[in-house]
Amino acid sequence: MSDPTILILASLAEGDKHGYAIMEDIQVFAGVRLGPGTLYGAITRLEERGWIRAVKTESRRQPYRITAEGSLELKRQLALFGQVVRTGNRRLKEA
Amino acid sequence: MRILLRWAVRLYPVTWRNRYGAEFDALLEDISPSFGDVCDVFGAALRARLTPPSYPSLAAATGSSMALRMPVVVSLTAHALMLVFVLAAAVHYVTPAPPHAFVAPVPPPTPEPPPTVTDARVFPNAWTLYSSLPLIPNNDNVMPLYVAHGVGINFLPLPDIGALYQRGEAQWRVWPGQALESFIIRRVLPEYPRNVETQGAVSVFVEYLIRRDGTVKVLRSAGPTPFTNAARWAIEQWIYRPLGYEDRGCQVLSRVEVRFDNAFAQDGLN
Repeated sequence: MSDPTILILASLAEGDKHGYAIMEDIQVFAGVRLGPGTLYGAITRLEERGWIRAVKTESRRQPYRITAEGSLELKRQLALFGQVVRTGNRRLKEA
Repeated sequence: MRILLRWAVRLYPVTWRNRYGAEFDALLEDISPSFGDVCDVFGAALRARLTPPSYPSLAAATGSSMALRMPVVVSLTAHALMLVFVLAAAVHYVTPAPPHAFVAPVPPPTPEPPPTVTDARVFPNAWTLYSSLPLIPNNDNVMPLYVAHGVGINFLPLPDIGALYQRGEAQWRVWPGQALESFIIRRVLPEYPRNVETQGAVSVFVEYLIRRDGTVKVLRSAGPTPFTNAARWAIEQWIYRPLGYEDRGCQVLSRVEVRFDNAFAQDGLN
């Protein structure tokens, strides 16, 4: 669950955020502090894949918005994680 | 730390900085950078250098991604090689060479001292021991006979060679005379008896015992009396190094033939 792309998508699922806001949000809900290089490397990949896009603004702090493809990918990843979580919990109870 | 971050940002490709530079600077202004952030940005910049952009706008902006990355790859490779060489040289320089164990050269073995020259007629010099002496023709049954001034020693073939005789507490082991040559320290040749008129060669057979201290005692002899006395007198002055058998000192029994030859004696005296 430490994949920065998933964390960023999860953060943007709440609404548009710029880089620093994404970093703070992830630290709050996931307890993970992404470094600036890691954060913008992931933002670059997400934008390349079309899962997020930049929102027009006059500010230097560029906000990003999750796209429909990004939301779909986030749901798919969360479903996969949910299956992993359920399987792990069931096996822990059986053990 | 912030200066380092600014410097690390310059490592990003120009196209990346054109796209994200302003907002990235704004982000860096918002955070309190740590050394980990510097390393993070440095690594991300290198990855951005080495990873071709797949985003259409970035790819279009960079043109040929290979043309962009090739100088970087070459530069990084060259720097990596230089770093390897520098580290190797530093390790080689810092690591002390294993101490070469100083091993003193083994001195050559001390040569055996030449036998003490006690009779100039027998040992004219050490290098021509015996060989410069006239040789009497011998037959097949006897050892070569070396003669100086008409007197020579012949090592007899002993039928009981190696035998061990016991007389009371004493033990005598039989050794041939030629085997004892390397142990002899002092040898005196018998004098040809003067005022004795004898034609041809006279042989005297002498059996002698070498004591533990190397001195010699004649046990018995056979031959004409004046020659026997001369041979016994000379042989009892012989001295050997102490002899041993199986790491124990022992007394050695041996026999020699002393041959007196008047013709050679006259030649030698002349």
